[in-house]
Amino acid sequence: MQVALSDLLSDPRAAIARRDLASLSREKTIVLALLIQLFVAAFSSFLVVGLTSLYDPSSVSGEVNVGVTGNASDSLIAATEEMDGIDTVQLPNEATAARAFQDGGIRGTRVDTVIVANHGADRRINVTATAPDGSLQTTLIVVQIRETLEQFERQERQDRSAHIDRELVPLPDDVAASPYFGFTYTILIPLLLFLPPFISGSVAVDAITEEIERGTLELLRVAPVTLVDIVDGKSVAMAMLAPLQALLWILLLGANGISVSNVPLLMLTVASMATVVVVIGVVLGLVMGERKSAQLVYSVGVLGLFASAVFLPEHPATTVAKLAVDSPTNTTYALVALYAAVAVGLYALARAYVDRVDVESL
Amino acid sequence: MKLRKVLRIARWEVTKNAGGVDKKTVAVAAVALLVAGLVAPYAASQGIALDRGIYRVGVTEESPYYQVVADDPTFVAREPSEDALEAGRIDVLIEPGEPPDAASSAKGDAALAELRSTVDDYNDQQMRKETNQSAAFPIAVTLRYVERENVQEVLDPGATGGTDTDDESDESDGETGTDTSGSDDGSSDGSGDGTGDETEAGDGTGQSGDGDTAAGGGGGNVGGLAGSLASGNASGTPADISPPFPFQSLVLAFLFVLPLNFIIQAYGSTMLSERLNRRGELLLVSPVTRFDIIGGKTLPYFGAAITMAALIGAGLQFPDISPLSVGISVLAITPIALLFLAATFVGAMFARSFKELTFVTVTVTVSLTTYAFVPAIFTDVGAVALISPLTIVVRDLQGQAVTLGEFTFSTLPPTLTAGVLFALGAGIYREEDMFTQRSIPLKTLDALAARVHGKWSVAAVSAILLPFVFVAELVGVAMLFAIPEALSIPAILVIVVVVEEIAKSLHIYAGYAHSRFEAGLKPALVVGAFSGAGFFVGEKFTLLAQLVGLPEQVVVGQAALATGTGAGSPSIPVVIAFLLAPLVLHVVTAAISAVGASRDRESYVLAVVLAMIIHFGYNFTVVSASGAI
Repeated sequence: MQVALSDLLSDPRAAIARRDLASLSREKTIVLALLIQLFVAAFSSFLVVGLTSLYDPSSVSGEVNVGVTGNASDSLIAATEEMDGIDTVQLPNEATAARAFQDGGIRGTRVDTVIVANHGADRRINVTATAPDGSLQTTLIVVQIRETLEQFERQERQDRSAHIDRELVPLPDDVAASPYFGFTYTILIPLLLFLPPFISGSVAVDAITEEIERGTLELLRVAPVTLVDIVDGKSVAMAMLAPLQALLWILLLGANGISVSNVPLLMLTVASMATVVVVIGVVLGLVMGERKSAQLVYSVGVLGLFASAVFLPEHPATTVAKLAVDSPTNTTYALVALYAAVAVGLYALARAYVDRVDVESL
Repeated sequence: MKLRKVLRIARWEVTKNAGGVDKKTVAVAAVALLVAGLVAPYAASQGIALDRGIYRVGVTEESPYYQVVADDPTFVAREPSEDALEAGRIDVLIEPGEPPDAASSAKGDAALAELRSTVDDYNDQQMRKETNQSAAFPIAVTLRYVERENVQEVLDPGATGGTDTDDESDESDGETGTDTSGSDDGSSDGSGDGTGDETEAGDGTGQSGDGDTAAGGGGGNVGGLAGSLASGNASGTPADISPPFPFQSLVLAFLFVLPLNFIIQAYGSTMLSERLNRRGELLLVSPVTRFDIIGGKTLPYFGAAITMAALIGAGLQFPDISPLSVGISVLAITPIALLFLAATFVGAMFARSFKELTFVTVTVTVSLTTYAFVPAIFTDVGAVALISPLTIVVRDLQGQAVTLGEFTFSTLPPTLTAGVLFALGAGIYREEDMFTQRSIPLKTLDALAARVHGKWSVAAVSAILLPFVFVAELVGVAMLFAIPEALSIPAILVIVVVVEEIAKSLHIYAGYAHSRFEAGLKPALVVGAFSGAGFFVGEKFTLLAQLVGLPEQVVVGQAALATGTGAGSPSIPVVIAFLLAPLVLHVVTAAISAVGASRDRESYVLAVVLAMIIHFGYNFTVVSASGAI
């Protein structure tokens, strides 16, 4: 075993991989990369938490004061008595309501919204809701108005059920669920797991084109290594980084109380993705021989590839989400196997291609 | 800078890449774009359902819930059993005659909450097929937005009676099927009892009785693609109304920013490749200035960015293109494009390898997209959104007017920042820095020192660094917008103090490191005083923020600008004191830092921290005295 390990370490490919990784850590760029990803994750979470608190009344404290008036206001108040987050008050007429909206004087505060509900000619109830314009609260108030009126609508439908032919499906209980649950598993985790492979591929393009453009590939070739060894070493270094970063994110999420299931399969998926994009990057680097065009084609190409994955029975982001949230199906497993197979196949193809490349022409 | 020389270098930049290898690039890129073009409509028609199948519901085919679960791709129907629920193979169990039961986990709760909203949507959809529409949708809502000051006339009983009936008659003319749900089933009978109306999305402002109070709509004068995607609904059934959120406009505005990310990749590569194997030396020794070279090499990429913006702007309005509206969008994108290019230029000057440039490019992409995008989310909320020029684009897409003051406020700081970045990068566009592996801190000092020659230039650098300070602080304000006021004001004060003190002293330290100033206490004090004074003069530009009228409720914004804009008091001595106090503050703190900088690195760091503490104390006092806390 000792012998095997030292053999492995003295392998020229391992030496090249070590050299590339060392340059990353020397420049401290890997720290920058981790910081960027952390920023993206923190930022998208901030955005979602912020936006959710704009929309989700339960995420912020305080109630919305609703002033209700009009000849259907009794039934509206009766229907919405049980609701959380709103505080209804009946007002005698629209003029009082207008004053309460603008100047206050009702229970020591202004009403946030005025709802005027009147029985209409066509047996409907016509509701005019007034919300304050242009403030952060507007969104919250409008959402609260909608929920109030939806509750009212359900009640009215029930009262008129004799006139309705179709059956209404009873509404499940309202539970206090985390509003961020879906976001965490369907956006945040795929984002964190796919960013490392994308960056790895981009760095693989750099690793190849830099040697070519600086002319240092010549120097490497003087050493007793083949071009395949060089490409192998560089690919392995970059493809390895991605699953390691993914593991780091999974552990970090775990530390924050977000449990991620099927970690080995997720790692396999990330490793396959990383291999695929690194192979694409390396081949583009060899074909173009120049960073500018290779990077441009790489980023457009990989984004295109990611988008065209909608043709698969399940988008890779969905596959990752289903694995992480522990709802995998047979399709999910099949796709993970497919990605691994594609990664191995592409890698073999790329090696065959590199073997035939005329080094003098680079 | 000579225009002729700039243009010649620009021509070289474009033509030298046209032959040989790059035909391959063009071919591959064309294929990639073609694929993207083919995929996009399909992806758009499919919708990107990332949450497809993440919750599993145990339900039999006889259950009324079965169809609900089958219709929503978020759910997968499974065989119901208690065991499966216990074992975690299903997340919600629906047994006949009982309400749905969720697994006792976060996932179970989330699944049940999702099921609740899906049932709600499903019921609405069923009701739309009903013959008796007034029983199915017993509530007809009109939502209106009112400035609180105007409320009296709007809610005047006589007036409301009139508008109400108008609104209702409008609505009953509409076709059935609402634009938000998108499930317009053809089986609906007759148009007489419809609820939503199709014209709603086209012009939200036309719906409400009094046009100026309705902010619900989007679209406005933007026809074509953008018009059909407007958001924010103001009438219909209760489920139809939605808060004013410029979602579609934001997505469209994002289209403007997207190409910039690709352009800066090519631009960064070309700038960095000048530094490989001393390639750039030929241009450096030629009889042109470095500004000619930088200008010439930047121009094609800037041109490409502007052309893309114009094409996107025109494409969104196709077929009836309004040149004015496209022009406003393009003008608003210009500073963002400049900022992207300038940041990438500095990054390419600093990067030591291709790999590092990749990370720098990603950083630029992420941070500038954030800067452009996040404030624009709050377009409908207040003037603070205007710190990003993208807000102008969003407003333009929504058909709202933009005043000249707002436009200036929005575009001037990023333009100036881009200029400063180019100037700093140009400072190290020279042999000593381009072709050697100098460390990044040393290069930073080189870049700053290139602009520092004497006490007057110190003042000038302090002043020109101000847009950078201004943008950094405003982004800080925007980021802290969501946290409670009690916390955000001290936090913003810390950001302000750190940013300002570093901006006032770093170039002094750079000057001392390059021996640009005499050693000794007195010269250091003089240089520091000039830096502080320059900063003070520059800071008066922040008055611009008040001229366009940041809303008064943005207290954090006032805290950020407190040192510069404490004026407004009636008595003249107080006004003078308010004006002079910040001058004294800046001069004193900058002088302290300068004395530290004249010694060595350790004493510089100590002195800056001391200056920050003094500055924080001052700001905290001013903000407390003005009653913001």
